[in-house]
Order: sequence, then structure tokens, then C-alpha cells
Amino acid sequence: MKSLLAISMMLVSALAMGGCASTRELEKVQSQQMMTDAKADQAAKDAQAAKAASDAATLKANEAAARAENALKMAEERAKIADEKAKIADEKASKADDVFRKSMRK
Amino acid sequence: MKRAPDEDQLVPRHLAEPVPRHLEENVERNEFPVAKGDDVVGRLGFLHLEKGDTLPDIARHFGLGINDVSAANPGVDMWAPKAGERIMLPLSFILPDAPRKDIVINLAAMRLFQFKGGSEPLTVLTYPAGVGTDERPSPTGQMYVERKAFRPTWHVPASIAEDHRKKGDPLPAKVLPGPQNPLGECALYLSKSSYLIHGTNKPASIGLRATNGCIRLYPEDVRKLYENTPVKTAVNIVEQPYLLGQSNGVVYLEVHAPLENLNSAEFDKIYAKLKNIEKESGRTLDWSKVKNVLAEARGIPVPIFEVRQGSGKGVAEPVEVKHPGELYGRPKIPELKTDAWSVLAADVRDEIDAVRLSAIINHQGPQIPARVLARNGSYRVVAGPFNDAREAKEAIKRLKIDLEIDGTLIEPVKKKLSGGRG
Repeated sequence: MKSLLAISMMLVSALAMGGCASTRELEKVQSQQMMTDAKADQAAKDAQAAKAASDAATLKANEAAARAENALKMAEERAKIADEKAKIADEKASKADDVFRKSMRK
Repeated sequence: MKRAPDEDQLVPRHLAEPVPRHLEENVERNEFPVAKGDDVVGRLGFLHLEKGDTLPDIARHFGLGINDVSAANPGVDMWAPKAGERIMLPLSFILPDAPRKDIVINLAAMRLFQFKGGSEPLTVLTYPAGVGTDERPSPTGQMYVERKAFRPTWHVPASIAEDHRKKGDPLPAKVLPGPQNPLGECALYLSKSSYLIHGTNKPASIGLRATNGCIRLYPEDVRKLYENTPVKTAVNIVEQPYLLGQSNGVVYLEVHAPLENLNSAEFDKIYAKLKNIEKESGRTLDWSKVKNVLAEARGIPVPIFEVRQGSGKGVAEPVEVKHPGELYGRPKIPELKTDAWSVLAADVRDEIDAVRLSAIINHQGPQIPARVLARNGSYRVVAGPFNDAREAKEAIKRLKIDLEIDGTLIEPVKKKLSGGRG
């Protein structure tokens, strides 16, 4: 029973001492928490900004890729047209040669 | 001519970029000395084209056939080449594999060789030729000149008369000397009945398989041959699309037949000779190079092998030729006159098409003068001037029969009479 009393007293005194410490500590903790919150807010803001920037960059990149793809398609189309034109020109030249060769017979 | 030390390979130099050098004004085209043991004569040339040039005009000026110039310059438009374009003049030839005497004609190369000076020094005169079509080929074998005729009359063979009748262009039984006569001014009648070596009223046909079996030469060449050839001269006609020859210790290969028209018998002969060269020299030929020469079939002697190592320095240097300005035999185009008859041959949107068509019409035999007139984004090909309606209608008929062109008659512009009393 004695020992139980002794333990209780020790606890009470410890609590009393802890109570004195917690006011300062609490202020400190609160201040730290505020700072952490602020930092977290800032980090969140930064992350949002980074995401926005990233989204914008992705959009830009996608747009550029689309433009490049379009340009490629158009270049391919132009090359195809040029090929066809060259083919037609060759065919015309060849047809003209055939007619000429025939005309050179007696 | 000395070559730079780093040029000791058998490089087909004509395929390389030109080295700046002075331009030759005169280049030998028809007559060459034949050095003992040499099979190759002449040398290649290069020329920059000028505006209005056509390959047939260049060919004629330099004593070449259309086949020579077009095979040596693949991809160059025959009728509308670009001004400034650099083309090759294939003025180097491997002599046919036949005895070097009298007249030898290689049908595959479309070229006649006349050897002069039985013993040394031997000279060869060479002329491009037009030869028979696949349907009516020129004969091969040994024959001789039976007789000669200056300003010959053409007695139209029944088969040709029938062809013309079918085309709606009936011919008379005989055609007297003159511009309508396809034999031209000189004819050498061969012992092989009904075959001739003759001139032509269609000079642009030299270098084509366009005859009924006769051998056609340019008017200026047949005249020289006529003067140089006595009756009874032997004529040896061969068909050698693959020619192999040596000059200055270098072996050359000249190919006149595309791979799709491979002449197996002739090819086997050449293959055996190439294998023999390998055997005798104890060295291996560059077969990929041989394959390229066969595939390209450019009709020019290409160095393929050094008989002795280092003898490749003997490869003849090509020559840069100065454009002569005026080309011999080029059709003259008289100015159009509003008071003369003319014919609208075509109205096209593409200028090149018009230029090409106009050039083809100008190179008909006899010539039908034609030019291109630009008008509101289109190009008209107008033939003329003609002296009267009959001449113009005759031109319309020829355009239709020979070139499948529907021409439209253009009447002369009538001069307005002055109403004043003076």
C-alpha cells in the first residue's frame, strides 16, 4: 500500500512538473506546426504550380507533336504528289518518245 | 595526259565530278587512228547544255546517234533538257570483234566502222546508224557493195506500200529524189537483195531501230561513205551487244543491251573471255563492277581491269567540250507570219509538254517548223508558216498520221484595205 502511495505521488509530481513544461512546449510545437503548415501550404501551392506548368508543358508538347505529325503528313502528301507528278512527267516523256520513234519509220 | 598520283584506280572518271580544265573547241568524232593492239578508239567528252538544246541536235553535231546520247545520259529529257545540265558525249568506242578491214556494222551499237589503210597505220572512220526494227531486222553476215547511186529513186517495196496504205497514207510506186525521198542523197546497194546503206530525210532517226532493215546514216556521213567506198567493198554486219577491248593495258567493257534483253549467246562469249582474262592474269576480276556495267548498259567503254597492276593510269582522260553555239543540222525555225497559213498543233498547260511536242514536230523528216507561243497561262504549239492552204493541210495530215495529233488550220490574217482616198 505504501509503495502504491509512493508511486502515486511520484506521478502527480511528474504531472505537475510536466504541466509547467507543456505550456512552453505547446507554444513551440504550435509554432513549429504553423511553420510546417505554412511550408506544406507552400509545397502544395508549389506542387500545384508545378503541375499546372507541367500540364501546360504537356499540352504544349502535345500540340507541338500534333503539329509535327501534321507537318509530316503534309510533307508525305506533298512528296506523294511530287512523285505522282514526276511519274506523270516521265510517262508523258516516254509517250512522246514512243510517238516520235514511230514517226521516224519510213 | 598525266594523271594525279591519287588517281591510280580504275575509276569510271566520267561518273565523278568534273575537274576544272580548259574547254576543247574541237573534239574528234568520226575518224580515229587505231594503235596496234588497241581495241578502243576516241575519248569521252562532257558538255554543258544551252537553252533550246535537244539531245538529237547534240547527237548529230557530234556525230553520235540518239541511242548513244540517251544511253550515256539516263534521266536527261531528250527534247527538253535543262539549260546548264552537264551531259556526256560518248565519243569513245570499242571496235567490233571482227576483221579490221572494209566496212563492219555493229547492229547492237547502231554504228558503222570503215577501216582504211590495210597495213599500219590503220584508221577507222565511224558513223552512227539507224537500223531495222524488231519486226523487220537488218540482216547479219558477210556481203558487199553491189552498186552505188547518187540521188537514188526509191522503188517502194510491196510490204512498205501495204503498211502505208493501212495507215491511210498511200505511197506512189516510186519516190523520186527530193525531200520526200527516204533514201536521201546517196545509196549503197548491198549484195543481200533489197538492203541498202543510205542517207535519210529523217536525220533524227539515226540511232533508232526504225528502218525496214536498211542501214541509215546522217546525210553528211553517207556522203563521205559514198565517196570513200568503191563498189565490191566487203560489208560485214554483226550483232555484238557486249564488247570487250584493251587499250594501254586496260580492259574495257561496253554494253549496248539492257539486262531484260539479254542476248545469251553473245553474253556467254563475253563471259568466257572474262574468265580467260582472269585465268591468264592469275588475278580476280571485280565482278561487281562487271555486273554494274551490264546493268547500266550505257554503251560506253568502261575500264574494268588492269592487265598489269598500275596500268590503269592509261585510262583515257575525258575532255570538257565547249558548246559550239550553233549545232550542225539543227532544224531552223522560220518566224511566223500573220499573212501565212499555219496550224495549231496543241494548246497545253504545261510548258515542258509544249516544248517537247514542238521539238518533236521540228525533227520530223522533212521538217515541219513549229514553235511554242505562251498565252494566258497556256502554251500553244503552232506549226508553220506555210505558203498556202494545201501545204498547211499536208502538214495537218502528217501530224495526224505520224504523231497522232489533230491539228487545226489557221488562216492568214487578212490585211485591212485602207479606206482613205489618199
